[in-house]
Amino acid sequence: MPNEASPLPGPQSPGTGLHDLRGPHSPRKIPGWAATTALLLPAYAWLTLAVFLPLATMFVFSFLNKTPMGQAPVEFTLRHYRAFIDQGYLVRIAWNTLVMGFWTTLICAVLGFFAALALVRCTAGRQRETLLVLILLPFWTNGLVRVFSWTMVLRENGFLDSLWHLVGDGSISFLYSRPAIVLGLVHGYLPYMILTCYIALITIDDAVIEAAQSLGARWGTVLTRILIPLAAPGLISGAVLTFVPVIGSFMEPRILGGKVGMTLGTVIEDQFTQAFNWPLGASLSFTLLAVVLAIFATFSGVLKRGAAA
Amino acid sequence: MTEVHIRSIAKSFGPVPVLHDITTQFAPGSFTSLLGPSGSGKTTLLRIVAGFVTPDRGAVTIGTRDVTAVPVWGRNIGMMFQSYALFPHMSVARNIAFGLERRGIRGAEARALVDQALEMVRLTGFGARSPKELSGGQQQRVALARALVIKPSVLLLDEPLSALDRRLRQDMQVELLRIQRETGLTTIFVTHDQEEALTLSDRIAILDRGRIVQSGKPAEIYERPQTRFAAEFLGDSNFLTGTVEQGGVRLADGTLVQSAHPLPAPGAKATLAIRPEKLQVSTTAPNRLTARIVTVIYAGPVLSYLLETLDGTRLKLFQANRDGTILAQGATITLGWSPEHAIPVAE
Amino acid sequence: MRLGHIFLGAVLVFLYTPILVLMAMGFNASPLYQLPFQFSTRWYGDLMGNEGLLTAGFNSIVLGVITALVATTLGTLAALALNRHSFRGRSLLQLLLLPPIAIPWLITGTAMLIFFFWTGIGRGMHALVIGHVALAVPYVVLVVGTGLKTIRTDLEEAAMSLGSTPVHAFFAVTLPLLFPSILGAALFAFAVSLDQFVVSYFLSSPGYVTLPVQIYSAIRKGFTPEINAISTLLLLGSMSVILIFARFARPQSPGASK
Repeated sequence: MPNEASPLPGPQSPGTGLHDLRGPHSPRKIPGWAATTALLLPAYAWLTLAVFLPLATMFVFSFLNKTPMGQAPVEFTLRHYRAFIDQGYLVRIAWNTLVMGFWTTLICAVLGFFAALALVRCTAGRQRETLLVLILLPFWTNGLVRVFSWTMVLRENGFLDSLWHLVGDGSISFLYSRPAIVLGLVHGYLPYMILTCYIALITIDDAVIEAAQSLGARWGTVLTRILIPLAAPGLISGAVLTFVPVIGSFMEPRILGGKVGMTLGTVIEDQFTQAFNWPLGASLSFTLLAVVLAIFATFSGVLKRGAAA
Repeated sequence: MTEVHIRSIAKSFGPVPVLHDITTQFAPGSFTSLLGPSGSGKTTLLRIVAGFVTPDRGAVTIGTRDVTAVPVWGRNIGMMFQSYALFPHMSVARNIAFGLERRGIRGAEARALVDQALEMVRLTGFGARSPKELSGGQQQRVALARALVIKPSVLLLDEPLSALDRRLRQDMQVELLRIQRETGLTTIFVTHDQEEALTLSDRIAILDRGRIVQSGKPAEIYERPQTRFAAEFLGDSNFLTGTVEQGGVRLADGTLVQSAHPLPAPGAKATLAIRPEKLQVSTTAPNRLTARIVTVIYAGPVLSYLLETLDGTRLKLFQANRDGTILAQGATITLGWSPEHAIPVAE
Repeated sequence: MRLGHIFLGAVLVFLYTPILVLMAMGFNASPLYQLPFQFSTRWYGDLMGNEGLLTAGFNSIVLGVITALVATTLGTLAALALNRHSFRGRSLLQLLLLPPIAIPWLITGTAMLIFFFWTGIGRGMHALVIGHVALAVPYVVLVVGTGLKTIRTDLEEAAMSLGSTPVHAFFAVTLPLLFPSILGAALFAFAVSLDQFVVSYFLSSPGYVTLPVQIYSAIRKGFTPEINAISTLLLLGSMSVILIFARFARPQSPGASK
């Protein structure tokens, strides 16, 4: 029944409204669950093969009495989980690893918080954007190369020494020491800490700070009573995501620590590449994983909120 | 022109029932508003007609065809969305031609139809623009043209004007009504704006918590609301509660209020709804109440007064600002109204 | 405020000094990194003759491209389901994307080594592909998912109301709008693969090593400025990839007005 007044022909009469629907597909719905499964299966099958099954296998391996090679039968044992008791030096190494993680995280947190604060309070627009990109850029470059680059700076007669020679004699080189490891790690994770603190600080309304100042708060009070508490989620997620990879690191201690660079990470690496004691390596890896998961579980609330922001 | 029938539709999202057993029909060429607060199920009902939501029970018929099992893309509907939903990567003309292409109409034929559609929404010459370069109102017109050009069986509008500012919105209402009349399309319009529903519709269906509580012509619903909810949601209302006695309603303070409408059986509780503009300052009207003016709101053409009776019942009075006299705050006045305007409503 | 700028300047000096020193030493004539600086391109010339580093570099690029292609495909599909479908267990699946990112690579790498050894998958290029894709997929899901969130779902609904099937609506509307995010995700996946060292270290076979692994063993054997040369190229390479990515991932939400 076309309406004559209309510049367009009227709507089609009932029942024939679809005759000209010539889509390339049959007008049928694919069941939702089938589509969802088809979309998810490839990625999760891959992750299962590459990550979840390996982690499960490693767990099983950690109970074997020796690396299953050749025909020799293997037995199950809890021995490797007693390694911390049986081999006392491991406790010392684990402690050193935690101390290394602590210092790295603390230095990153202090520097990162103030750098983020400076970004938020002292820069704006394009300048801020450029600075952020410059700060984050190294984070996405090869970590190994960046660690290696510190050896150029810290070695005897390296860049640091040649700067020093402008004012004094001798050498202030401290390559192959614990501070060198921490320095390299701070260099690696500082950009990330700046980012998480920046994200937390940027959401703070200027009016909040002005309100505090109008109530007579000094700069120090604003910092400790307003900025730090409000930035806490950023600080905490930054700290967790620094501490976790740091206690699992092995390449930084190897390159910058030399002989003094024994950490849990290097001990684990040794089991796989030198000592060929895979079950011990697996049990140490798993102990480390347990620590990591415990940290994540403890801070999951904060991390989730950070991810949502 | 196509008729749309909805029979015994029910829908739950998980454990939450959204629609309970809805049966209604949309007459050929009619303009119906589904009016209700958010969460009333009006959008879900529209999306069931569109085919985006599959009902748990019931059937949808467009014309003579039962489309309950037909997916959206097979229903030949025209739909306008709250956010315009124009394809940002296509020109205005390509947006409008999208549905034609799906129907195998291309080339010169499609161009001619697109131009006609642009003319209809008064955007001739805008075809090559990108949606980004258009104002909100213009984008809305493109969305309308895109929905109309495919000659849909039914036009579904999901609060399409809510993103526009007030003035533009009134212009679009006029435009929408003109085009709807010209095309004679059966139109279902979802809104939470009562004024918009009153202005545009042939018929309003008021939804509350998944049920159609009343439907009918705008004037019918406004003048004769059947429930307290309908009286409150469409327009403003005063409510007086009491017991049915001697052909009237006896209030707590002993006043007997007459109503010209059928009341429940004597002895039953009853609520009467009286529109604030139907009250007047009068000592001679058959129904009277004394009340003190608590607040005076001056709104230009209309004066609103908030009043309180002796027993604390709050009342509203609207008066046209005829000669600029304003009743004083704190004054006690006698309000009167005709039994014709005391409408018994269900709670 | 002056103080803030000075502090930020100091942070930048800290971040870039070693990198610039590394790059400079690649152009210093002394094989022992001795100063004063004498400009020379000798090490870049030597690099051209260093079969080991060149092969490793080539391997890294091939591996990066394969990783980018596979991870982008898998991750985009998963991102679609995770962002556009509602189903039970969705939050659990989202949680399962975190282990590859959050667990230290040392743990993931050694676990892969054990599993691949035990199942006979072994080490080498195929093992590296399996590992790198797994590490890159979560990032792809994240980047593409962020892109998807800026594309309103009612665009696809509008297409369907005009007669598109869901599949057609996806290809005609969502995919073109999502393309910048997908390209960004692919670049990101490439960068993840290119920069990956720890997992590669455990999965490389003597016959197939990636550039970072080759650099690591070279460093451990003793330094040569050729490493500085190739490292410079690697740094510049991944920096440009990330800068290009940043352009694509900029929050210029497609579908939103300017």
